[in-house]
Order: sequence, then structure tokens, then C-alpha cells
Amino acid sequence: MLKINKASFSDFLTDVMRYNELVAPVMTDNSRFETIKDVSKIDIRIHAYFPAKKFFFKKCQTLFTYYDGKIKVPEIELDKNQRIMIGLKRCDLNSIKRQDIMFLQETKDPYYQEERERTLLIGYHCSEPYDDYCFCSSMDLGDFYDLMLYEKDDAYLVEIGSDKGRGFVDRYRKYFWDTDLYIRPHERRTETRLHLNKREISGLRNNPEWKKEISKCFSCAACVTLCPSCYCFDLYEETNAKLDKVQKKRNWASCQLTCFTKVAGNHVFRETREDRFKHRIFHQIKYFKQKHGMNLCTGCGRCIRGCPTKINWVDMLNRM
Amino acid sequence: MPRTKRVEPEKEIKPCNPYLPKLYKILKYNKESSDCFLIRLDYKGSYEPGQFFQVSLPGIGEAPISVASYSSTHLDLNIREVGNVTKAAAKLKKGDTLYLRGPYGKGYPMEKLFGKNLLIIGGGSGVAPLKGVLSYIDKHKDAYGNVEMFFGFRAPEDILFKEDVKQWKSKHNLHLSVDKNPSKKKISCDVCFVTNIVEKAKLNPENQAVFMCGPPVMMKILLGILKNKGFQDNQIYLSTERMMQCAMGVCGHCMIHGKYTCLDGPVFRYDEIKDYTYD
Repeated sequence: MLKINKASFSDFLTDVMRYNELVAPVMTDNSRFETIKDVSKIDIRIHAYFPAKKFFFKKCQTLFTYYDGKIKVPEIELDKNQRIMIGLKRCDLNSIKRQDIMFLQETKDPYYQEERERTLLIGYHCSEPYDDYCFCSSMDLGDFYDLMLYEKDDAYLVEIGSDKGRGFVDRYRKYFWDTDLYIRPHERRTETRLHLNKREISGLRNNPEWKKEISKCFSCAACVTLCPSCYCFDLYEETNAKLDKVQKKRNWASCQLTCFTKVAGNHVFRETREDRFKHRIFHQIKYFKQKHGMNLCTGCGRCIRGCPTKINWVDMLNRM
Repeated sequence: MPRTKRVEPEKEIKPCNPYLPKLYKILKYNKESSDCFLIRLDYKGSYEPGQFFQVSLPGIGEAPISVASYSSTHLDLNIREVGNVTKAAAKLKKGDTLYLRGPYGKGYPMEKLFGKNLLIIGGGSGVAPLKGVLSYIDKHKDAYGNVEMFFGFRAPEDILFKEDVKQWKSKHNLHLSVDKNPSKKKISCDVCFVTNIVEKAKLNPENQAVFMCGPPVMMKILLGILKNKGFQDNQIYLSTERMMQCAMGVCGHCMIHGKYTCLDGPVFRYDEIKDYTYD
């Protein structure tokens, strides 16, 4: 087993930052993943309020440009630095896996692939749940990382999860020490206080419990924006003032908004808030599983934490 | 010392970009009715009836349009002016160009149904994808049994593909109806809803497959009528309409109960989506 001493951790990060783009959770106005300029700001224990998906599946991505009668695709930069992402929690890592399924397996999305391939994922294991909204221990999360850090006394034990991770360790070998310490099975688990008991929800669509919670929903779409797994998007076009250049763009979309299912002629398929809310929950814990064998939801709790009325759909399903 | 050399990405990522449309020329433009027009494009790839293409006009947007032909030399698209893209496309003319990407989706399972009698029901611009089906049938003459068709339009002026209709009348069993005849034109078809003529017709569900495409109201009524006539849900194939953007099964807009209309549809066998009407 390898370890990194906490005393040299900051030196290690400074060294990493010198030749790579380093992304880590920081506390600014709110907690988020950011490209780091000052290593002292990093706190890898933070379960960021905002997810890390913006680094791969960008909030706004220009796909191509119509200009001068031709289509121009933005150059894919090959000399971009490698990006090291540190402090991803197990829920974050698993949602990256789910986005990989959609953008690399279901389709080959070159924009996502470019960002994803240059990124090395270093996880941080939460020994305690971050707060009462986390429910990852009920979501059957798998191991998905290049490196994983487990806190142990004055060091981080390092588990290697891929060849990419091994290569990275070789490159920074002087910070990694061999150790006899190991991770016990119970140390790999985080027991969250919130727990989703209901696994099969097909028969619950008409349960009266929905109405109570949905009556609190504003359709503000915070849940979807904060979800690290949600991958739906809008395609649209933007024209410049001279009307000679049109950019085809991709934006995050939300199934909680009426425009999401609006077709030409202004018909909306999921017109009621109830239908839209149910659609989100069913997609998260049923539809995706039917097709890919795993829940889309990874139990990070961001949708409840960020909800202005704190709609706790996990509790709601448990009550049914 | 750690090696200072930066690690380059292993392979160059220059893949086929699935978002990029290609430019095609309009070979023919034909105004079919007051709000429908048919364009023929020099698309030479393969596609199946029931599939669709994303038609794209720079600066305006993209719209999914189903194919109305079956040919290896051209592609027909019948477009109804309802949204931004289709209204702009109506202003195109012969010789202009158009961006396309596709074909996408699952069409009618034509090969699977070899040997069956076909019942084809269409309403309004829903006849367009069925025109593709009929071209397919023409090219595979002996593959199918009896072909019975019921097409309904709003008014005599709205009847699409008038030339084809004449041919279909001679080749197959075509029943035509118009909802109303305000101009009191002399016409050779019933003045009633298409659902009425289907209801009156004598239909034998045995060894039969039903294709239908049209307004949701029409399909809903027809499903009831066909059920009464003894048709099973797994005999009926219908074309669904949803907001489709990426057309590759990712963007999520067209999802019906976990199924992507653009990937698993737009043609569904009724028993596959029967319980999902609320979605």
C-alpha cells in the first residue's frame, strides 16, 4: 500500500500544479470545484455544493460555427495541460462514470472526450457522511477512480484504480511512501444517516405522498443543475450582430421546465409540475437502471441540499 | 525528481463528430397544400421508411422531419409549416441547399412483416412517412399480402401527394376521406373523419399488421376502434411525436418512460408504449 504524508501534501499539490491544471474543492462564496491558483485554499474534505460535471460536460459548449458557407469545428487542443482533479467524493466519481456511459458509450462526443481524456481523477473517501442529505450508502456505488485517498492519522492511504493512476504515482514517486497500513472493509464504506429503502418504484406512480412534496416544488430546476449525473442538454443557435456567423451551441437543460418537452405548435407533453417531478425521480432511479444496470442517482444529496424548499424525495419514497 | 515532461493525450481525437450536418441540394420543390411542401434532396445514402432526419437551417435551428420516400438516389421530405425551421424552409426553392444529419431512429419493421397483410392509416401530414412505406412496398411487390389504406385530410385542397394518390388507388385498396368540403368541390371521396371510414370497413385482424401515423387524437380513437375489431396491441405500429434535439439518445427531450423516441422510436409497437401515455 502507498501513502502520502499530510505534512508533504501541500508540497505535492504545489508540484502537481506546476505542470498540470489542478482542480479541487474550495470554499468561496459557496463550496465548489475550481481550477486552483493557491494551494492553501484547497480543502479536499469539502463535499462541494456545485458538482464537478462542468469540467467535462460544459454548461455552454460551442459545437461548431457556420461561417462563410462552411462549417467550422473548434480546434481540439492537443497541447492542453493534463488536468488533475482531486477531492472528488465517491458520489462524484460514480456520476462521472454515468456521464461517461452517455457521452462515450452511447455516443462518441468529441467535446466531452477531449476534456475527459486529459483528466486524472483523484478521489477522497468520506469516512463520515458530509451532512444529513447524503444518502450514498443506499445507492450501490462502485469503485471508479484513478487514485483514491483514504484518510488515516497523519497520512492519506492511496489506492490505485487504473493504469493512468499508476503512471501518475510513478511520476510523483518521491511523495508516495510504502506502508504496512491497509484499508479495512468497513473503512471503505460510509454509513449515511439518510437511506433510500424503496428500490422498485414502478407501482408508486399514483401514491398520494407525491402530491404533498410536489406542492412545495417551484420548478426552479436547481435539483437538475446541481445534480452531478444529469446529462440532458439543449441544442440551439446563436447568431452574431452582423448575421454572418452562426454558432451551434449546447447548454444544460432541465426536465423540470415546461419548455423541455415543447414541440412545434406549442404542445407540451409533460405539462404539469407533477409529471415533470416524477419524470426526474423515475429517470434517476428507474429508467437509467433498466438500460444500464445502475441508478443514475449516486446519492450525493445535492438536489435536496440545494432545493429552496428542501423537498426530500428520499424520505418521501420511503414513506410510500 | 518528478519527471517534468508533460503527458500528451495518447491519441489524437479527431473523431467523426456526430453533431455535424452535411449540405444537400434541393432537386425538387413542390407545394402540396396550403401549409405543406415536399422537397427532394440529392441524398444518396440508405434509410428506412419511418426514420427521420434533422433538417437544419443556420441561424434558425434544427427540426426532425420524417422521410417520405424509399430510394437510393434521392430523399423526399414532406414538411408542414408549424415552427420556426419549417416556416423558414418553406421559403427555399429548387437549387437551394439544406443541412441534414441522419437518418435516425427505428422505422417500420418492414422486413419482419414480410408475408403479412398491411393496414395503413394516415391523417394529414402523417401520410408522409407512410408514403415511404408505400414506396418500399412497391419495390418489394410480392413480399406482402393485401394492402389496405385509409387516408384522411382536412379538406380537398389539403390532400397531399395527389399524383401518388392516383397510383395508390389503382394499385392498392385506398379509402380516402376529407373532414369537410367547404368549397363544395366535386370530389370522389367520403366527407367524414378517417376514423369513421375505418370503423365502417370490414377488417380481418388475422395475419395483419397496422401502421398508423397522424394526429394523437386520431390515433387514440383508432386504437379503440381496432381493439373492438379484434386487433391485438402487438399488431399495431404507430409513429410518435416528441421534441427531438440531438437525435442520438442523449439529450433527453424525447424520452417516453425511459425510452428515447429518437433511438427506440419514432415508430413503436403499441404494446411497448401502451402504459406510458401520461409521459
